[in-house]
Formats: sequence, structure tokens, C-alpha cells
Amino acid sequence: MKFIEFKNVSKHYSGQSVVRDFSLEIDTGERIVILGPSGCGKTTVLRLLAGFIAPDSGQIIIGGQQVASEGKIIIEPKARNLGMVFQDLALWPHLTVKGNLAFGLKAKGVPEKDREQRIVEILRLMQMEAFIDSRPAELSGGQQQRVALARALILQPDVLLMDEPLSSLDLELNIRLRKEILKLQQSIGFVLLYVTHDREEALEIGSRIVVMKAGKIVQTASVEEIKDYFRKLTLNY
Amino acid sequence: MSKRITLILVIIIVLLTGLLPLLVMFASSIMVDGHFSLAFYQGLLASGREWTLMGHSLALSLLTALLSTIIGVPLGILFIKTDLPLRRLFTVLFTIPLLLPPYISAISWFDLLGREGLLAQLMGHTVAYTTSSWFFGLSGCVLVLFSTFLPVVILLTMTYLKTINPRLEEAGMLVSNWPLVLKEITVPVILPGVLLAAMLVFLLTLGEYGVPSFLRYDVFPVESFIQFSAFYNFGAATAAAVPLIVITFFVLIAERLFLRDKTYQIRTVSGSEQALNIGLGNARNWLMAMVGLLCISIVVIPLLVLVFQSFSVAAYKEALSRAGGSLLRSVSYAVIGASMLSVLGFFLAYLIHTRAFRFWRAVDSLTVFLFALSGTVIGIGLIDLWNRPLTNFIYATPAIIILGYLARYTVLTSRITIATLAQIPPSMEEAAQIAGAGWFQRLSLIVAPLAMRGLFAAWLVAYIFCLRDMGITMLVYPPGYDTFPVRIFTLMANGSTELIAALCVILIIATLLPLGIAGMVLKLKEHN
Repeated sequence: MKFIEFKNVSKHYSGQSVVRDFSLEIDTGERIVILGPSGCGKTTVLRLLAGFIAPDSGQIIIGGQQVASEGKIIIEPKARNLGMVFQDLALWPHLTVKGNLAFGLKAKGVPEKDREQRIVEILRLMQMEAFIDSRPAELSGGQQQRVALARALILQPDVLLMDEPLSSLDLELNIRLRKEILKLQQSIGFVLLYVTHDREEALEIGSRIVVMKAGKIVQTASVEEIKDYFRKLTLNY
Repeated sequence: MSKRITLILVIIIVLLTGLLPLLVMFASSIMVDGHFSLAFYQGLLASGREWTLMGHSLALSLLTALLSTIIGVPLGILFIKTDLPLRRLFTVLFTIPLLLPPYISAISWFDLLGREGLLAQLMGHTVAYTTSSWFFGLSGCVLVLFSTFLPVVILLTMTYLKTINPRLEEAGMLVSNWPLVLKEITVPVILPGVLLAAMLVFLLTLGEYGVPSFLRYDVFPVESFIQFSAFYNFGAATAAAVPLIVITFFVLIAERLFLRDKTYQIRTVSGSEQALNIGLGNARNWLMAMVGLLCISIVVIPLLVLVFQSFSVAAYKEALSRAGGSLLRSVSYAVIGASMLSVLGFFLAYLIHTRAFRFWRAVDSLTVFLFALSGTVIGIGLIDLWNRPLTNFIYATPAIIILGYLARYTVLTSRITIATLAQIPPSMEEAAQIAGAGWFQRLSLIVAPLAMRGLFAAWLVAYIFCLRDMGITMLVYPPGYDTFPVRIFTLMANGSTELIAALCVILIIATLLPLGIAGMVLKLKEHN
């Protein structure tokens, strides 16, 4: 069932076209990876969907509801029920792990008792209960990554946006966390929109891969089809 | 000359101009007729006056810092994070009082609220008597110094807001709204910066001489100045200055211990990752009206009153004939001072930025300390050190004024240059080094040209602070070498209101003109 729709979306920054005529449909429970080189517009696509910026033209639809259209944000980010893991994680440095997780629950008016319970549950799922009172600076890269993921998932979002979340980690940790993300997505069932420039990461995480270049979609295909595409590219090269 | 020798020379200059005068001053305050004695301090404590001065100084500094912070932080947020109309114009207007000697603001307020002021002419003498008696004393000092130092808080809040990671707010906006994000994320993240701004306002107020002197409110710098200039009691002047040194020292230590390590994620934000803007919606216009009202009340009206009072050709003629020489001297000293400060600041910034010596932090802290210290204290120290037959070639010439500038304002040029150097990748200098360039060649051909914009900004800021200086200059200027702010201050005793207003307007023009020219040149360059 169609859950997210980008309809001919374009975005410019300082006269430069960053996203051009971007159209994409994403089904419930799908794992979409947007793959492309730096500066191709993939992060802008995530920010458009999150509602941080409005498209100059085109429409964005989530769950059948138009959320942005032609320079206007119709539905604010907080009402879109999205979670996001940023490239630099953006954990709030002045708050503890508990504070980071409680912020969204507090904003949504979840009673304190339920908040505590949900925080403990999500930390248990991430195997991070021991670090509930730690500040981000006291955690390792992998632990910070898990807290960022927990913060994004604690409000049970319909869609999880991930912007190159593993790019700063070493290969071993990167591979381990890929598996954990996959496992979580399969057990919870949210739509995953994952941005990366790493081909291997894309092939492991995505069920469908969207290749972008200079703001445009070059190819959309299943993992198998895309493997074939890269094989041909390599042969041509 | 090698890198090491040059940088050691720079440290020696900082020590000689800034630290040594303070040490000599302190030593002479505990020596009476060649013997150790605490007589000056005992005398001051016994009189009970010390406690009155302490109470006054702390009350003035705390109230000014508190008011500036309470008003300045929301203004900083409005100017940088929202779509408030005219926010750029407001930023410029609110900054103007900081660029002028604070007592110029006091004069303009006096022309408005004083017994013979504009208000008296408009509303009668009964109202003017009330406003005048309110204006002289603590309340007037707080009002004037609040309007002077408010931009410190506004500008630092804006700077810190610009440097926080926009993703921190975006992560909050996914689940919440602006009021909660500001309260729980933005403000706590910039809190160390806000406290730093409040601390700076506290220290600058603590060291201020001109305004409390004009408004007859006894504080430490005024006492120091009176003891020195009226009674020529060097020991008592120093004893009155020591509490300022001690308070400044401990406030800066507290800043180092409690704030320095709590400054989170200060980084430059590239153009492509602009932070989210707050749409004010329906509140946009009434917020603009409120900010506009404040701006008109504390900036525009006092300046307009000055212009209005000076509205006579005769007043300007008299101003130029009585103070033309001082104006030329002031501009010359400011140009020389700013140029020397820029060079000194550049080398010092290089030393601190590259951590060339293990004690780089101590050198940096010393320059901050000297800036935060009262100009009166530095002035007394300079006199104590250089007023000797052997060094008369410095003490009896404008060189003593320039030394005062170097002592107090080095931190301005060094800090601005450090911020510029931080944006130049180290690989630039390393590439030149590999190509065989010596240290001076690397500095002159690679680093300095790349830092030119920052150096220019540093020069401008130094020029303004040298031109507006009165705390040091008032004490150290040799006979016949007074500066324009000093001449205005001395003419206030017997000059007409029109003359003083005309002098103030001339000083404002002399201060703002280079800024205006620089702004136009930059715009033209960007346009081309």
C-alpha cells in the first residue's frame, strides 16, 4: 500500500537546483535507500520529507495527506510522525540519555510514569540500560548511535529517516549496526528511508534502491536489479 | 629572526605593557618610605568607605548585567532566528551605543532628562526635577550602562546561536514546537555563552569610570581616580583599585572553571546547512513594534536629542576651534594604536591558535584579564611604572597613551584574528613549508593574505575602542596631548550645552565614519 509520495518535487538553494523533478512512491514497510555521491541532493530529499524545508514546486504526501506543496509546509514536522537519525546524530549535549529520550515524550504529553517505562523498554531493546544517566560525550560512537536510534524510535514513528548514520563509524561497528537496524525494521515494521553514498551499505539495508545524481533520480530498482546495474557500469568503465 | 624569538618578543610586549604596570603598582601600594606597610589598605578599611564603594560597585554591575541579559538574550534570538521585520537595522542601531564612550550616552540622556533638558522644555520644570533626581545616582548609571552594554549580550547571543549545530534544533522540531525547543534545547546549549556575556557586562560596568563620575555615583574607579588626580595620593588610589583587580581575577577564574568546558558544539555553519527560522506569524508586527519602541527609547531619542541640541553652526565652529587639535590627535592615536594592536594581535593569535608554547592559555587569559580590568587601574599602573626620569621619553609623550591601548585592547585583535585563523586549514601553511618557505614568508605570503578580512575587522574594532577610550587616557595623557573624549569631558565643566552636544556629534561621526566606509567598500567588493 502506497504510504509516501513525492510528486515532481524540486528545490533550489541560492539559484542552484538541488533536487529536480523528484518523483517517488514508497509502500508501507518498505526499506528505501537513496544512494548517490556527496552533493547529489539525497539529504535534501530527507529534509523535505521531514518538513524542515518546503519544496519550490511539486507535492509531498504522507499517509494519503498532503504535507507540503509549492513552497508551503502544510503539516509541521512534529505532526508527521517521523523519526530521524542525523548524520552527526545531533544528540543534545546538555541532556543525559534519559533526557534525550524523554524530550519527545514530554512534548507529546506522555505521563511521567509511562515515559519512564517506555525509556527503559527502548533502552533494553538497544542494550543501553546501563547508560541511562550518561551524557552523550561520555558514550562511545556505537553507543551514541544506539541512543540516536532509540530517540528516533521511542515515539513509534511511521517512518524512520536515516541520513548517513553509520558513515563516521569503523567498518566492524558499521556492519554490526546495519544488522541491528535491519532487525529492528523487520520487527517494528516502520518505513525506512535511508541515505548513504556507500554502495555496500545500500545493498545490505535496502529492499529498493534509488540512485540519485545531480538532484535527479537516475534509477529506481530492487536490490537485485541495482546489482546488475553496477555490474554493467563496472564493465563499461 | 626565528619564529620562536618573534613570539617570545610578543609575549614580552604583553607582559611589559600589561602585567608589569600592575605588579609595580601593587608593590608601591604595600611600600611606605621603602618599608613594607599595609597602611593604605588599613586606612581605606577603617574609613568604612571601602564597603560603601563595594556595595555601590557590585549593585551597579549586577543590575546592569542582569538587565542587559534579560533583555539582550530575547533580542539576540529575535534578530538571528526569526523573521522579525527590520532585524538587521535593529542590530545596527542597538550596537551604536557600544561604539561610543559610555559618558556620551550619559550626556545625551542628561540633555533629555536633566533640569535644563528637553523634557524640562516640553513638560515643565517639576517633571524635569523628578527625572533629574532619578537620573543622578544608581538608576541613571544602570540606564546608561544598560543601553551601552546591551549590544554585548545581543551580539554574543547571536554569535552563539549561529554556531550551534542546526540539527540539534531539527531533532527537537520533529517532535515538538519552537517554544519548547528554545526552552529545552537552544537556550540551554548557548547558556555558557549567555553567562559569558553577562560576566563581560558585569566586568565592563565594574571598571567604568566616566558614567558614574558624571552621574555622581561613587564606585571604585571614581574613588581611584579622585585619590590620584585630586589628592595625588598614589597609595590610596592603588588601594582603591585592588578590589577591582581581585574581583576581576576571581570572576575570570570562575569563568574558566565553570563555563569554558561547558561550551557545547561551537562550530562554524556552512551556507548549505542554515539553521531553521522561526516564523513569528501574527506576533510579527507587534513584536517589531515593541523592539522598535525599545530601540527608539534607548538609542534613537538620546542620539537625536544630541543632534537637536547641537543644531547651530556656531556650536560646531566653537567645537572645532576648541577641540579640533584634540580630534586630530585622537584619530591619529587611534590609527597608530589600532595598527600596532593589529600586528601584536596577529602574532599573539598565531601563538594561541597554534599553541606555540605550553603556556599559551596563560597569555590568552592575561589579555582577557587586562581588557576586563578598569582603564583607571591600568592608567595608574602605567604612571607608576613609567613616571621616572629615565623613561620620561615615554611618560611625557603620547607613547604612554599608545602603551595603554596595547595593554588593554590586545585581546580584541587577538580574539578576532584567532577566529579567522581557525578557518584557514593548517595544510595551507604546511604546503608552503614543504615548498621551502620560511616562517615569515609563510606568514606574509600565505597566512596574512588569507586572514586579511579578519585582520581588517580587527583593525576597525581596535580603532573604535582606542578612539572611545577615556579610562586610561584621562589619567596618562601628557599636558598638551589630550584626546577628543578627554577634551569633551573636561569642557563639560564650563562648556555650553550646545557646544558639548556638537562635540559629541563630531565624536560619533569620527567613530562611525570608518565603519560606514568599510561597510560600503565590502558591499562594493561583494557586488563586483
